[in-house]
Order: sequence, then C-alpha cells, then structure tokens
Amino acid sequence: MIVARVVRGDVEAFAALVERYRDRYARYAFHMLGNRQDAEEALQDAFTRAYRSLARCEDPERFGAWLFRILVNRCRTLGARRGRRSRTFVVDETALLEASEEHPADRAAWREEIDRALQQLRAEQREAFLLKYVEEIGYDEMSQMTGVGVSALKMRVLRACERLRELLSEVHSA
Amino acid sequence: MRDENELPLREIARELREPVPVSESFDARVMRAVRALPRHRFGFWLRLTAPRTITIKPLTWGVLAASLIVFAAAGVPRAFGALHRATRPIATALFPSSAKAPVKSQRVQFVLVAPDAKKVAVVGDFNGWDAQHAEYQAKHRGGGVWSVTAPVPLGHHRYSFVVDDSVWVADPTAPRVVDNDFGTPNSAIVVEELK
Repeated sequence: MIVARVVRGDVEAFAALVERYRDRYARYAFHMLGNRQDAEEALQDAFTRAYRSLARCEDPERFGAWLFRILVNRCRTLGARRGRRSRTFVVDETALLEASEEHPADRAAWREEIDRALQQLRAEQREAFLLKYVEEIGYDEMSQMTGVGVSALKMRVLRACERLRELLSEVHSA
Repeated sequence: MRDENELPLREIARELREPVPVSESFDARVMRAVRALPRHRFGFWLRLTAPRTITIKPLTWGVLAASLIVFAAAGVPRAFGALHRATRPIATALFPSSAKAPVKSQRVQFVLVAPDAKKVAVVGDFNGWDAQHAEYQAKHRGGGVWSVTAPVPLGHHRYSFVVDDSVWVADPTAPRVVDNDFGTPNSAIVVEELK
C-alpha cells in the first residue's frame, strides 16, 4: 500500500498519491479561492501537511478523504487571510473551449458567470455549496469535516442556492 | 440559450465538476517540498524500535519497584515523600492491591526511551488510539526515559507510542504484532488479573 510505503521512508511513493488526487482536489481549491495560484498553494500546502502528519492518518484506506479534510481547512485559512484582497478570475479558456462542442463562446461565458457568482457567496456558504453539490458529500460527513452542525450546514446550502439563483438570474435577465 | 427563470443547480454543479488541471510543474513542486521535510525521523525511529537497539527488561523494573516498596515500607522520610508518590503507580502495576474487587483493569506502566522526544503518548485499542487522551500522556523521568502508568482492561491489546504527535513507535520491550494497513508499528500486551 502506498501510504504504508511512504511511512516506512519511501518518499518517492508519495508522488503516486499526488498524481491520484491533485486534479480533483484542485477543482475544490480553485472554486473556493477563486484563482489558480491560490488554489495550487493551498493544495501544495495540504499535500505537504499530509505527508508530515501521515502517521496520524488513522485509516489509510480513506487517505483521500483525510487529505480532503486538510485541504478544506487550508482553503479556509488561505481564504480568510486573503479575504480582503481583490480576486482575479482566471478562467481556463482553452480547457473550456475544448470541452464545448457546439457553442464554445456561450459555454465559456456561462462558466465564467458561474465562477463569478460563486465568488460572491460568503465563504461559508460557498464551502457548503461546493461540498454538497459539487463534491457530493453527505451532510453528516460535511459536519464531521467542517465541525459545523448539520442544521447550520443545510441553512448555508439553502442560502447559497438562493443567492446563486439570484445572481445568475440577474446576469441572464440583463 | 438557457431559460432565465430556470437555473437548475444540477447544471451549475455539473459545470463546476469539470476538472481543474494543475500546472505542469505542480507535482515537481510538491515533491521538492516533501523531500525537504525531515525524512530521517522515520528512519531514526524505526531504528529505535529495533529490539537490539533498546532493551528495557521488565525484570529490571520489577526489581526497582520492589526495592522502592521495601524502602517505602521501612519508613520513608518525609523528604522522600514526593519520590514515593511518583513511583507508587509502578508498584501498583506490578503488585496491585487486592483490596478492591472485582478488578476489571490493571494499571500498567509503559516506558519508552526517547532522548530527543518532546512529547510521548500511549495509544491503543484501550483508549481509542487517541494520542491526546489525558491519562496516557507519558512524563519525562530524566535521561530520555518517558513513562506513564495507566489503566488497561483485562485481555489482549494492541498499542503503540506516539512521539511528538507524529511518529509511531513500537514498544521495544514488548512483542511486536503485524503492522496494520497503515504501516504503523504495534506492540502486543496481555493484561491479566493478578491474584
């Protein structure tokens, strides 16, 4: 098992864990922090912290979930630290154009609107929305992950959905 | 174009689930950072756990504890009161009082020599593998010797030391058991009711 190899001192085996989880988790960090530079910083920080604390990972079978929890915390910290800084929206235009088969411009614009609306949510609402709808994590696990009660999380998701609808409706009716 | 009155969340979520690839240099940066971390600690502690490196024979502690009890029974001067209180748990572990019954657990002394450690805790199936459990925090007794005496239920158990909240170390004085899937070293202990 890769985790066991790393704990025994095989540092290079950690590269396989990085390769396995980086893209999926980069997605969450990118949506939480709003730009690729911060997202990669948070993700790299999460990986190095995970490596340093690997012996504390109680269930190696769930290394991915454990790493994700670290990432959620790093995004919170980094987001709070840079909260007042003006955000830049770096949309990967090339990837978006390649992903769209029929109306690349429409889709790119729509995706940019979503990203912009998402960044206008309060951080805790954005976090709850992403965990619930994008990462598809259940409320109980979200509660364990964030330390926030289920009721409060449901309320945050509800508020996030309302606000997203409001923001995106404004865009479309403009 | 999309219906402005219908903004399905599923569609939004689907867009947001698109992968966000990292830059090409990301893996190299992470691995560079990881390699810069103090890897030698793993090797150091693994060597430390080798039975040939450190040996604390239970008999040694038994003789020590017995000596202290005899010393205490002979009438300990008040000046040695503190020493007596500090070592009482050891004696309790090895020579438990028969006054209380029924006994469902025994106080067991765990000892680890870890000269460079700043913190040592005992984790096991008897405390939920909780390195922060207050009762199982070892104290530095000097000379790099850390020990704690804590209750362990009767029966077979697995346990380990956790040094500085991060490094798991098997007890060099106890039988090793097969490492768990995570690769952390475990020791075995059998706690029996002493008569």
